[in-house]
Amino acid sequence: MIGAGREARFAGRFTAQLLTFVATVLIVGLLAAALVRSSPGYGTDPCVFDPGIDAKTCDVLQQRYRSADSLIAFYSGYLAAALNGDFGQSSEMQRPVAELLRNRVPVSAPLLLGGTAGGLGLGCLLAWLAVWPRRKACQIPAMAASGLLLAVPPAVLALLLFFREWPLWPGIALALMPRVFGTAKALLEDFYQSPALLAARARGLGSSRLAFGYVLGPAAPQLAALAGVAVVIAFGLLLPVEALCDVPGIGQLTWIAASKRDLPLLAALALIISTLVASVQWLGDLTR
Amino acid sequence: MKTLATGFLLLIVLMGLAAPWIAPYEYERQFRDLPAAGPQPGHFMGTDDVGRDRFSRLVYATRISVVFAPTAALVSIMVALLISSLAAWPARLLTSIFLSLPWIFLFMILRSKLPLNTSPEVLLVLTFGLMGIAGWAFPSRIFSAAIREMGKSGWLLQARAAGLSPVRIAMAHAGPHLWSLVLAQFRVLIPAYVLSEASLGLLGLGVPDPLPSWGNLLRELQHPYAVQANPWLLAPLALLIAVMISLEVLDPSRRVAI
Repeated sequence: MIGAGREARFAGRFTAQLLTFVATVLIVGLLAAALVRSSPGYGTDPCVFDPGIDAKTCDVLQQRYRSADSLIAFYSGYLAAALNGDFGQSSEMQRPVAELLRNRVPVSAPLLLGGTAGGLGLGCLLAWLAVWPRRKACQIPAMAASGLLLAVPPAVLALLLFFREWPLWPGIALALMPRVFGTAKALLEDFYQSPALLAARARGLGSSRLAFGYVLGPAAPQLAALAGVAVVIAFGLLLPVEALCDVPGIGQLTWIAASKRDLPLLAALALIISTLVASVQWLGDLTR
Repeated sequence: MKTLATGFLLLIVLMGLAAPWIAPYEYERQFRDLPAAGPQPGHFMGTDDVGRDRFSRLVYATRISVVFAPTAALVSIMVALLISSLAAWPARLLTSIFLSLPWIFLFMILRSKLPLNTSPEVLLVLTFGLMGIAGWAFPSRIFSAAIREMGKSGWLLQARAAGLSPVRIAMAHAGPHLWSLVLAQFRVLIPAYVLSEASLGLLGLGVPDPLPSWGNLLRELQHPYAVQANPWLLAPLALLIAVMISLEVLDPSRRVAI
């Protein structure tokens, strides 16, 4: 009975989270489509400016514009095309958005993965040192390192590594670390003070058994959710790092799109990034 | 330590508010015969590439950060409270949508919609306003959770049973319960926005020239040889780090990840 109740609860939560995920993607898609429609030059008849376009092509183009006259019609067309991997054309770079993304994802992926893994690992390790050994010699350096790194703009950290010609993923990791540290420390403190752990300690269990059985095990779902949040933050950190250090990745592409007001590209990036981030958050929530 | 941090922050706030009296020159005044000059009498931090006094610009930049970062935090808190007070699922859905897009992306999308001929003063207000609007989702998630918990509390049931109107329950009972949380989030958001403005300024998407801000003063750090030769270019960064550390000393809870 208890097992069936738990399964029903899980199924309910799974459905609610799935619906939230789908609604998020659909609404962001709608906003992206609205953004593309409001971009300069959208809806302008190309036949007016280009006498080289023949009458037949003109008819096809005008028919396409007329069919997407309402936002809903345009939105469904935009989303259907996006599902097929067609995110339109960048107005600034005059190239398909999908091609731009294909070229830049391999550049950003190692930075994002290395930075997230490094930041999570370092943040959790320092949180552990600040909570578990109960020694000032461990606590003070951990807190000081986290506090100092939180005070430095991530872009400055990245510039420092860039000028030293060091790899850039540690910049993302170091900027992410203090943001993970605060939450991980609070989480570990809660478990450290739990009655179950106190009772186990009174029974004389060893440190490693206490750590794995009473802290890391029960905290794993929340740490997984924290990893989801860390990916979102790391995405945000990619932007200043890539833009300032001249890394041709997704972050730099977003910066170019924003500074040159390339709205079709920005809309596609918003749709893709929010889908990715919502998926990661959804997976993180499912583990809880 | 807390006294030291409070004292330092008070000094910074006073410096920002009294900028016109402390700064020897206006922030946009150019000394055309002294471009990129080193420290000298009259300009003890030297001048920038177009001959503006660095110290004056730093003092005025402090005023902008001191005034506008708390204002942006206030905007976020107001929006978060408004959204959190909606019915449970619309608030959760809205928060989920906003959380699924890193705020910096959201900020850039909003900023790219601004007209090109916007004046620097309007752009300054809009930059911090947009930061406030883009950053409401994190506090909203926390307020929503607190409001959900409140919904299950005994005192709320009792207030409802006593026939109190929803407005009275919100003002006289729920408000005081939320107040400490609101203050805590406000304190967390201020350093987050100071840092955000610095990052945006470095990217050239923050406060526009000729208005000075800590962010756009940090842009000079992009030239390492100039920094090595003129270490006083690090002054805005040192001031920013000192302010951030002081804010952390006063409020070490960093549960909110922005």
